[in-house]
Amino acid sequence: MRSNPLSIVKVEELKAYYVSESYGINSVVKAVDDVSFEIYEDEILGIAGESGCGKTTLLKTLLGTIKPPLSIFGGRIFYRIEDEYRDILSFREGELRDIRWKIVSYIPQGSMSVLNPVRKIKDTFLDFMEAHRPDISKSEFDSLVKNYLGALGLPTEVLDSYPHQLSGGMRQRVTIALSTIFKPKIVLADEPTTALDVVVQRGILQLLRKIQREEKNTLVVVSHDMGVHARISDRVGIMYAGKIIEIGNTEEIYTNPLHPYTRYLISSLPKIGDKAYRTGVPGSPPSLSNLPAGCRFQDRCPEIKDICREEEPSLVEVNDNHKVACFLVSKGEENYES
Amino acid sequence: MIVIFVGVTIVFIVPRLTPMDPVQSIISRVTALVDTDPRAVEKLVETLTDLYGLRGSLLEQYLRFWKHLLSGDLGPSLTMFPASVVDIIKISLPWTIGLMTISTIIAWLLGIILGTLAGYFSNKRWSQILGTVVMCIYPIPYYIIALILVLLFAYLLPIFPLMGGASIGLKPSFSWSFITSLLKHGFLPAISLVIGTIGWIFMSQRALISRLVASDFIVFAETASLPRKKILSYLIRNSMLPQITDLALSLGGIFSGAIITEQVFSYPGIGVVLYSAILQGDFNLMMGISIFSIIGIATAALVLDLIYPLLDPRIRYK
Repeated sequence: MRSNPLSIVKVEELKAYYVSESYGINSVVKAVDDVSFEIYEDEILGIAGESGCGKTTLLKTLLGTIKPPLSIFGGRIFYRIEDEYRDILSFREGELRDIRWKIVSYIPQGSMSVLNPVRKIKDTFLDFMEAHRPDISKSEFDSLVKNYLGALGLPTEVLDSYPHQLSGGMRQRVTIALSTIFKPKIVLADEPTTALDVVVQRGILQLLRKIQREEKNTLVVVSHDMGVHARISDRVGIMYAGKIIEIGNTEEIYTNPLHPYTRYLISSLPKIGDKAYRTGVPGSPPSLSNLPAGCRFQDRCPEIKDICREEEPSLVEVNDNHKVACFLVSKGEENYES
Repeated sequence: MIVIFVGVTIVFIVPRLTPMDPVQSIISRVTALVDTDPRAVEKLVETLTDLYGLRGSLLEQYLRFWKHLLSGDLGPSLTMFPASVVDIIKISLPWTIGLMTISTIIAWLLGIILGTLAGYFSNKRWSQILGTVVMCIYPIPYYIIALILVLLFAYLLPIFPLMGGASIGLKPSFSWSFITSLLKHGFLPAISLVIGTIGWIFMSQRALISRLVASDFIVFAETASLPRKKILSYLIRNSMLPQITDLALSLGGIFSGAIITEQVFSYPGIGVVLYSAILQGDFNLMMGISIFSIIGIATAALVLDLIYPLLDPRIRYK
């Protein structure tokens, strides 16, 4: 089948649930439920979906920062480390700490307050260097940071500032610099553009894309904004209620969306010159602690069939770079295939 | 300055509103011992009133009071006459300052360190045990802690001396025997003060830290695998603002002494002096001690305002 491109991360049947017990009643929130996909080298993978569909949880498990109440109920996450696939869910805490920032790094959601407010940017960079590259001397590091910030369009004065003296966009750039300066193989960005105005958003996206193109590494962008994915991603995965329901090349997804949910998402995007009224997806997603039998989208689906209430559709391949989990497609509905 | 002015004025007025009359109390003490000629008594009253600055209307007294205060004269003590207030304070204040500065700083440091660790490792077993222990000790009234310590370690097991600031007869000097005696006498009061104040510091620090642990920049630093030491230093640095305030105000409050501690341990500090001054209606001494403590607090507040920008770069004065 597909030999190229090489995958750097393989996620297999991953189940990550939040378990909480209050007053003797256990509640399980299935934030990521039986998810399998691959992340390739040198690509930008977008993960889209509405709030509370498990996007951030998926990133947390990819990073290996699993803390109660979140716990793993099955599945494996393979990273290719020195040409060998290793399951990070079997790693000890120390090993996980070692891969972070060297192999996989992270640009957090809401970067407005991720910098220590009482430390100069320079010192924060220094802290990160001491933790990950103790071999670099201080003077080398100075020039490294200055050059890197310059390349990201930040003036060197930033280094002597405190976080509160910088604008939101600058802070986000500084955070991106902190996450990418040690050239990790994979960068996970969680809603990198929320809380920024559209002009700054555009700059940040261009920056992320530029870094990825230069480093030839892998970038995973999680965002609820379909416009972001259209602009930046090579492939897009759509999450709905803890599952990936459709994944494929960005162009495929946008020109030929197969899952009704994806179609809703894409038809909600405004187009220049089109003044038609945009509708949203009717209803709201099911509670992740009390999922219905069958397809998770059944209550909001305009084309529901009997089977949707009984069985859960699995992700099937439509063509080489397009997979979808919907009975409308998998049960031979010819008119939905391109 | 306004703070000091208002404070001193209140200090001046409040004792004069109490029903006690220092002149009468002295007279009654004198006349109880010896039969005195009523005319001599009248003369005595007049002299004493003059001496204590109690002559004339309240306003006149007040103006005279300020005149003396500005020249550094707090007048004579009314009950320990003819010793001046300044002298009495000069003798007892060093004891209190020594004892309380050291115990406040120890309690503060210990409370901050333990509170930070307990807040950061909040789901570890030892942290929960520590929290429970502090929770149990915290509500015990301070005088009970002090009494228990005296009973246990000075009476039942006489390891430490029962009273005093140093052995009687030793002259304050930097000799070995004086310092050991000083430490021995100061140990129990200091421990009682540490136990009495550490609970609050521990709990407030733990609460501060557990809030900070969930803040974005700590989560990010954790995700970025920064070493534990670094993260703890981030936490402590960011919790300093309220805690330094607390420390400075309690250090400023030292001048009013630790009345209960000094009573229970018979420590020759300013608290004992203040206590007896209040009991005996010694206006001048009360005012003297209060003025010192007002100046102490006001200075602490001023110093705080000056060091805030060093602690938190977000605070700047234009």
